Amino acid sequence: MLMLGCGWLLYRANAQVSYQWNWSVLPQYLYRFDEASGKWLPGLITQGVFTTLRLSLWSTILAFVFGTGMGLLRTGRSRFGRMMGWGYVEIIRNIPVLVWIFIFYYFISDQLVRAIPVDDYLRNAPEAIQSTVSFLVAGPSQISVFLSGIVALAVYEGAYVTEIIRAGIQSVDKGQWEASSALGLSRLQQMRYVIFPQAFRTILPPLAGQFISTIKDSAIVSVISIQELTFQGMELMAATFMTFEVWITIMALYFLICLSCSLSIERLERFLKRKTA
Amino acid sequence: MKNLPRLQKQWLPSLVMAVLIAFFLSGLALAESHESTIDKAMKRGVLRVGMSTFVPWAMKDKTGQLIGFEIDVATRLAKDMGLKPEFVPTKWSGIIPALTTGKFDVIIGGMGILPSRNLKVNFSIPYDYTGMSMVAHKTNAAGFSSLSDFNKPDVVIAARLGSTAVTATKKYLPKAQIRMFDDESQAYQELVNGRVHAVVGSAPTPAFQAIKYPDKLFLPLQANFTKEPIGFAVRKGDFDTLNYFNNWIRFVESEGWLQERKHYWFETKDWESKIQ
Repeated sequence: MLMLGCGWLLYRANAQVSYQWNWSVLPQYLYRFDEASGKWLPGLITQGVFTTLRLSLWSTILAFVFGTGMGLLRTGRSRFGRMMGWGYVEIIRNIPVLVWIFIFYYFISDQLVRAIPVDDYLRNAPEAIQSTVSFLVAGPSQISVFLSGIVALAVYEGAYVTEIIRAGIQSVDKGQWEASSALGLSRLQQMRYVIFPQAFRTILPPLAGQFISTIKDSAIVSVISIQELTFQGMELMAATFMTFEVWITIMALYFLICLSCSLSIERLERFLKRKTA
Repeated sequence: MKNLPRLQKQWLPSLVMAVLIAFFLSGLALAESHESTIDKAMKRGVLRVGMSTFVPWAMKDKTGQLIGFEIDVATRLAKDMGLKPEFVPTKWSGIIPALTTGKFDVIIGGMGILPSRNLKVNFSIPYDYTGMSMVAHKTNAAGFSSLSDFNKPDVVIAARLGSTAVTATKKYLPKAQIRMFDDESQAYQELVNGRVHAVVGSAPTPAFQAIKYPDKLFLPLQANFTKEPIGFAVRKGDFDTLNYFNNWIRFVESEGWLQERKHYWFETKDWESKIQ
């Protein structure tokens, strides 16, 4: 039914909008054969996919670090810590992500980049380091904007991770705290041996969902000209005027990436359930 | 700490944090150096050039390499300085703030010299002139053949956000409605779909679009209706850099190199096979 509906919509759109479809030139932007080196190389769009994946991965890791720190503060005993955690979550959650990315890029990251010129460090670094960093993060021309993109996204997603961690810790029964305290464990030991292992099971599924969210949210950093999937697609449209083909391809790619992530998370959840049952 | 009253104990950490942050920010503000952009680029060995995709000024070919008139200009400029060019593709609507906050050294991106823009950045002498041209929809704008035909409240014009096309449309077609898009391709798509009457854009793209869709689009005006000088944009207060760029432009102009490149990109379509 759904497929039929989509097909009908596409047909209607096609009939009403006069557009010269030109799918045949699209594959060369995904993969192309380089005659000079005799190898298959990733095309413009595929490069964008890699950048999107790198961006999402690093910002999720960083968001997890921020979120764990803030989540522990929020559930901690220090009032200052609780207030900091609360302030962080409330400030970030009540700003539109687009506005936050702009503010971060133009005001905060500008100061940071000026204080620590990462791109110059990287340019002066030996070849081996340069190529490793280019492979894992970004090349010297993109590194500073890429880093600010990662941090901006991570701070944003971190607010949601904070809430996930907080909910996870608070979902552990109060008796567990009391029992472990009665055993003479320190607060750190309680957290490490008793509370966190139990909280982890509740945390994992929403955390994985947050990772998929990050992949989708990463499209928004195209506004600060990070060359990820959406940006590359828009550049390609500007150069070739193939608006529809490129948007449809981008949509399909995001869908494939997110779907495969979501399926692997489902398997992981089932695996964990079996292990603990 | 132990002897402090309870209230102070609570607020001390936040006070310390605030002082630290204030120190950090003021230190950063002072750390700004007064070296010229050219000196910094020479030290770095790389000239960072801000640009945005505008056919045929700058665009990506099928191998992912940037090509176009501006790319040729910037590559030659960097070569003459003994530097490597590094292109930073940037959204057009945010390109001036990106320059002023130091994301790159210079904008070489077909930027029209406008008095209002000149208040924010410095421009080199013009290395090129462009003009606004217009392509219209055959049924929506049937019979339109002059600017006054388009200057009506029920006419909708599409243009790229933040470009001089918007300024030109507001000046020459004050009564028409303007619909602005982030990319030129979206504006042209809107026209092909028949939702607007015409697109105003820098020549020669409107003419190329009319050739691409001969049964839908046509060129209502015989000639461009504006003439705009195009210059390099640099940050304010950096006259060493500006002086170098001005004289470089004079140099390549008297060589005839600029005109030759211009002919290749704007008057021929030999480059089209590189894109598709």
